[in-house]
Parts: sequence; structure tokens; C-alpha cells
Amino acid sequence: SVQPPEKPLQAEEWNRLKKSFESPAVFEEVMFNSMVRYNSPVDVAKSLLTHVAKSNGDIAYNLLVKYLALCVQQGQTSEIRDVYNIMKMRFKILESGAYNLLIRGLSNSDQWRMALTLLEEVKKIMIPSRTNYESCIKAATRHQEMKLAFELYHEMLAKDLVPTLDVLQTFFDSCRGMKDAELQKELFGMLLYLRENQIYPHKTFMRSIKLWFESIPGGNWRGHLTNIKDSGQCPVCNHQLEDSDLTEEEYDNLRERIIRDVIHGTDMFRKTTPEEFEAFQTFVENRLPFDIVIDGLNVSHIKPRKMQCENLFDAVSCLAKENGRLLVLGRKHMLSNSSNWKREIMKQMQSKADFFFAENISEDDAFLLYATLQSGKHCRFVTRDFLRDHKACLSDSPTRHLFRKWQRGHQIVFLPSVEGKQINFLPALRYDCVVQTTGDTWHIPYKDIFEEKYSYQVPRKWLCIQKK
Amino acid sequence: MQSANTFLRKIASSVLPFAAQHGMRKDLFPLSRALSLSLCLKQDNSCSPSEKLDLDAWKKVMKAGLQEEVSETVSDSEEFSSLAQAREILAMWRLAGRSVPENITDEQLKAFTECPSKSAKRKYLKFLYLKELRKKKDKIKLDEKRQRRLESQKEAPTADETRRDSFMYVQASAMDRAYNWRVAQAMVFGQPLVFDMSYEEEMSPRELTNAVTQLVYGEGCNRRAADPFHIHLCNLREGSLYHRELLKHYREAWGKLLVTATERCYTEVFPKHQLIYLTADSPRVMKTFDHNKIYIVGSMVDKSIKTGVSLARAKRLGLETAALPLEKYLLWNSGAKNLTLDQMMQILLTLKDTGDWKKALEFVPKRKYSSFISKPVHELQKTLNLINTLKLGKRQEEVRKQHAKNYSKKLIQK
Repeated sequence: SVQPPEKPLQAEEWNRLKKSFESPAVFEEVMFNSMVRYNSPVDVAKSLLTHVAKSNGDIAYNLLVKYLALCVQQGQTSEIRDVYNIMKMRFKILESGAYNLLIRGLSNSDQWRMALTLLEEVKKIMIPSRTNYESCIKAATRHQEMKLAFELYHEMLAKDLVPTLDVLQTFFDSCRGMKDAELQKELFGMLLYLRENQIYPHKTFMRSIKLWFESIPGGNWRGHLTNIKDSGQCPVCNHQLEDSDLTEEEYDNLRERIIRDVIHGTDMFRKTTPEEFEAFQTFVENRLPFDIVIDGLNVSHIKPRKMQCENLFDAVSCLAKENGRLLVLGRKHMLSNSSNWKREIMKQMQSKADFFFAENISEDDAFLLYATLQSGKHCRFVTRDFLRDHKACLSDSPTRHLFRKWQRGHQIVFLPSVEGKQINFLPALRYDCVVQTTGDTWHIPYKDIFEEKYSYQVPRKWLCIQKK
Repeated sequence: MQSANTFLRKIASSVLPFAAQHGMRKDLFPLSRALSLSLCLKQDNSCSPSEKLDLDAWKKVMKAGLQEEVSETVSDSEEFSSLAQAREILAMWRLAGRSVPENITDEQLKAFTECPSKSAKRKYLKFLYLKELRKKKDKIKLDEKRQRRLESQKEAPTADETRRDSFMYVQASAMDRAYNWRVAQAMVFGQPLVFDMSYEEEMSPRELTNAVTQLVYGEGCNRRAADPFHIHLCNLREGSLYHRELLKHYREAWGKLLVTATERCYTEVFPKHQLIYLTADSPRVMKTFDHNKIYIVGSMVDKSIKTGVSLARAKRLGLETAALPLEKYLLWNSGAKNLTLDQMMQILLTLKDTGDWKKALEFVPKRKYSSFISKPVHELQKTLNLINTLKLGKRQEEVRKQHAKNYSKKLIQK
């Protein structure tokens, strides 16, 4: 790339530069790109534009956009307006790149209302992006036009755009200290939006929420940061968090959808066969209900240096001590008395738990889900698998959220302990890790860092807010 | 990107005839006017190069050009259909330097507006753009070739005459006849090879066209083989998308093609015990090529990785399945184990001829594997295991030592 000049150049000087450049055809474009990168003064860019305009009689659209980017970067409002006017006269419509820049640039200036008219213009030709809305909403809140900001927010939700956490945080920041029942309702609505979509705020957003609560005049809200006990009790206010049980209706719904989408799917033969599934169904019906369903093969890999059947044996005997009925799912090859699967040990295990062996090419995870869901709400399952592929089979996001909630409450994860024979089980969470309220209290789980990568990781830290 | 000048010229030459052809009004393309304007401006400015720099001069230039045109553009306030609007957006994207094709048919435009998401739209446009680019390059190459041929003919018209006498010629049509004869023989005596055409619902339109292209390639390879298969296209419904695409490719030749196309399933055509369904998901690995079996290849292009679709077909019908022994002979590098239809055809043809796996698996794309395996796999596995245990064993020892050290430190601190 090239270093842009520091001062505006005359036409001849530009010409000389262009000639010395290795591919003169793209000279202007490369030059503008590096001007944006080095944040060159606009005057330099203007001198190049003037040169281009004089020698060609016209300036290509992409150069105008790049110049616009430079102006936006430096907050040159009047230039932005000029470029817009020129573009508007020159072209019938603009494309999204220019609109994004214009909206971003103008929303940060005192001419922010023009960004709103631009947003209207965008709507005529396409669906605006969520950052378009974000810019406009931020501009509106900055100028205390809360009603307008909320209107825009609802508009973007209606268009199925997912608001950034940044936008939500802006609302909490700018509503601090306001005593307006309508506004409060809106913000509570946002917290419920977090709840419904199982979104966890990050630390700085959580602080904004806390400060807003504490700033409500006459609200007497107090917030504390805390960790929730395994029992699900909040150490600050002693409130018992919601349990992770699904309602009757949700449970039935989830079970039906699992059978329909995961087990049957597009073609039942992909995961099992109808005969096998039917055999499994009758097997399960005859022995219901189970307390724990174990994914045998998954458990058998817990310690790689041990024989697989020993691992399974350890796990089964450990779980058998405290719990009633166990079901172990496996595949037929486990019965073949190989080096990893000793027949005597398998026999021994079969006295402690029920076993079902699927065909070697069938997927046992689908059976695991079915058996657990059929056994009822109390039944839990053991696997280290995150079941993400099965979640992905479910067709709509509410059901996926339901699945995640159920999974959090019913999956037992085991960890191999560093030394000794013991296998440690990470019990299923008894409480539901989601934003929740009782009216007088709010409990909000939050992430420590901004981006936590994995969707199966639930935060352990909570914000407890209560009314004094 | 070109400088604005060449850019303008290009736009003017490419868009204008198109606009005329589609009966669009000229003033939809404001750039065309700038061309005439640029000429007079150039003349104006050439005489005063050494005046003081006016930084906003470009604005004047841009606006000056416009004032003349205002009268034209104002009158232009008709409602546009959504397609025309989409066409305008595309024109703007192209100006902005995005990967957008220069010319787009109404059919493609409709497909574009029907894309479900922004990213789908972008991908579709890029696809069209690259296709257009490729076509243009091909055309340039073709023209060059023609040019060269004409020149060489001009230079040495007499040399050709003498050569014609001293060599015996085999004409292309003679080759075709020979090939057809062999395939015709294969249709009577040859070993059948089945393509299962029942995957239409599993594929997107683009996957389907790709599948047909692969199938056509495969058929071509088979035709030129020394000992061709008797190709059966089973489950091919009359009037299905698959059928229509095939017709598009072969046109009149479809009727004369020496393959058996049938709506029936392979299980109705052949005895079940002879059939083997080839699928990468099969737990069974093919050891040798059996000349008495009938192999089935699912003619499906699967870009979205739907595992187990063809295995499910075989399971449903209770057929034997097999996968190519890719793991056994190739040190797999990356990429999916499913191969294209023409690659499958080449591999099967080679196997049929020679029975040599190494030779057959040469047709697996080179990028997918790093090398052929010379030693038997289980030996390699053994050494690999040995290395792993050595490594692991060592590491575990290290961890234990580190742990003990920390522990003793703690004790001391207490």
C-alpha cells in the first residue's frame, strides 16, 4: 500500500504520484483506502477528488463512498451532508454501504434527525441493518427523545432484528434517574426479552442495570453481586430461584417435538429403523419409569487408559448406590466380548441396571432423549455430549430454548478425577439460570467477559436486586 | 477497479445497449451523460494548471454537471416494479465495487429477490459474478485461439496439403462410432451400474444442477472406457427437475443415449442380493471389486452435509452397503469423504479394469489426502499408538511432578 501525502497536492503532483504507482488503474482507490487507514486530513482527500473531477469530469461512486468513510471517521458533518447531496442528485438510489456510513455519521452529529429521514429512505428499498437502528436509537437517547428511541426499538424487533446488547445498555444508561412509569415498563420489558431469549448480559451491562434500578426515585432498590448456591438459594436475599422444571404443557410439547424432529426427522432410517425404535419403545414402556438414563458408550470413554467396560462399570456402580432405576444405552458390539468389553463385567453390570443395545449403526443419543423424556420430569441423563446436533434438529428457537432449559436441569455431567478411582458427577442444576423476577426481587445472571464462546456454559455469577 | 475514466467508458459500452434492448429509459443511467460532459470539462481546465488549489472544486464540477440535467431527471417519477428496483440496487452495488454481475437476466433477478436472507443474496450474486467472469475469460481465450489459427493458416497454406497425404486420419465421428459400439455392447453384456436418482427433494436447485453436470461427466468417462458399464438411471421420474435438467444438457442426444433410464427402483430391476449401495457413511469397507455385483451410487450433491441420507435409503430397502477404503489407502488430509459422481465413475471403471486400488484412488482429488499409505494401516496405527503413549506417559509424569512440587510449596508456606 501507499502512504498518503500529508498536505493537499496540486494536479501535477497527483499525476506524478499516479505514474509512479505500480498499477495506475486502481491508484485512486488504493490511495483512498490508505487515507482511511491513516486517517488523513480531509483536505488531502479533497485535493485528490478535485484532481479526479477535473481530469475525468466525474467521480466514481466508490470513490465518493470512500471519501464519505473518511468524513464519517472524522465527524465532518457538513462534508457528509455535501457528499449526500451530491450523491442524491447524481444517483437515483444509494446502496447500503453509503447509507450505513451516512446514518452512522449523521447520528453522531447535531443533525441527527437527518439520520432518521435517511433510515426512512433505506426502509423503502431494503430492511435496514441492526446497526442502522442502533445508530438512530443511540442518537435519540442522547437527545432525551426516549419515546422515539423506544419506537425505533420496537420497530426493529418487529422486523426480527436482534438488538445488540449495546443498544439495550444504552437504554438503561439513559433512563437512569427518571421517574416515568411508562419508561420503567419498557425497561422491565427488555429484561424479560433477555429472559425469553436466554441472553446473559456482560459485566458492564449488568452494572448499568444495577445503577438504573438503584436510581429509580422512590424505588428503594438495592443490588448485590453474588454467587448462587447449588441449592438455588440466593445468599443475599435468601430467595429460592425458579427451578428448572418445565411446565406440563412445555414438557409434553418438548417430548413431541423431540420425537418428531430428532428421532423421526426427515427420514427415520438416518438414525434408527422403525422396527428398532418400536422395540425400544416397548422395552421402555415395560420398565418405566427410570431415574437415570446413561449413555453407555460416552461414559465408557471417560478415562482413556482404562478398559471401556471398567469405566462404565465404575459409573454404573457409583450411580446405583444412591438412585433407583438405571437404564444404560449401548450398542450391540459391546456384547461381543472384545478386549475392551469383557463379558463377565457386562454380566455383572446387567444385574444393577437395565440395558438396551442398539444396532451398531444406530444413534443412541436419540434413544437417550426419548427414554429420559418418557420417564418423566424427575428423570435425568448422563452424558458428556453437549447434544448440540440434536438441538440443531429442532426447527424453531422457542423449542430450542426449551430444550436447553430442560438439558440444564436434567443433564448430569461427569468429570474424571485426577487421582483415584472415584468418578465425580457434576449434578444437574436445580435452579434455572435465566433472568427472573418475583416483582419485589430480580435475579440476573451475567457473564464475566464480553464474549463467552460456548452456548452450553451458563454463568455462575448473579446480580441480586431487591426492594428494601 | 479502473480509474473513473475507463470505468465510465465501460459502463457506457456495456449498460447502454442493454438498456436499449430492454426498453428502459436512458436517463435511468445518469453516468451515460457524464461522458459527454467530461469532454468539455477537460477542455476547460487544461488551460489553467497553475492556479491556487481550490479544495471544493470537485463539488462544483459534480453539481455543475447536474444542473443541466435537472430538467431531465425531474420528469422521471414513475413507479418502478420491484424487479426494476432490484436492478437499480444491483447497479449501485456494482458501482460500489461489490461482486455483482454486469448483466443479469430477469430470471436471475427474480431468483435474487427470492433469496431468503441478505447473505444468501450476496452469495448468489457472487456466484453469478464469477460465472460471468469465467465466461468472459473463456471467450477471450477462444477469440485468441481463432486469431492464431487464422494467422497460421495464412502463413502456411501449402504445408497443410502435404501433411494430409502422409498421415492417416481418424475422424472424431469415427471415434464416436467406436465408442458407441462398445457402449452398445455393454448394454447387452456389460456389468450394470446404477445411479439412484431419488434425491431430488434433498437438494437445492444448484446442487441438483451440479449433480447433473457430474452425471454427464461420468457418462462421458464411461463412454470412452475400454470396457464400459451399462449405466442405469433408476427412480428417474418423467418430468421431474432431474429429468428436465438432463434434457437441457443432452437435448436431442438424450433419446439416443446408450443408458437405461427408468422410473422403476433398482430393487424392482435387479435381484436384491446382488445390489450393493455405495455410501461414505457405510460401516462396511469395500475390499475388492466384485464383477457379479451391481453397485449403486446415489446421485446427490450434498453441500450442506446431510449425513446418512443415502445410508438411510439402503437401510430402508435392506440392501448391503459399502464405502470405499479411503482410510486404508490414503492418508486423509481434509475434506469430506464423499466424492463426486464422475470421480466415483472413474474409480469404479479403473477397479473394473485392473482391480488395483492404488490406481483407482488416483482419482480422489489430491487436495483431500497427503499421501498414499505404503505400510498396512494396523502397523501404522501401532506406531502411532506407541508415540502417543510415550508422549502422554511423559506428560502425565510431568504433571504429577509439577503437582507434587506445588503441594510441597504449599506445605512449606503454611
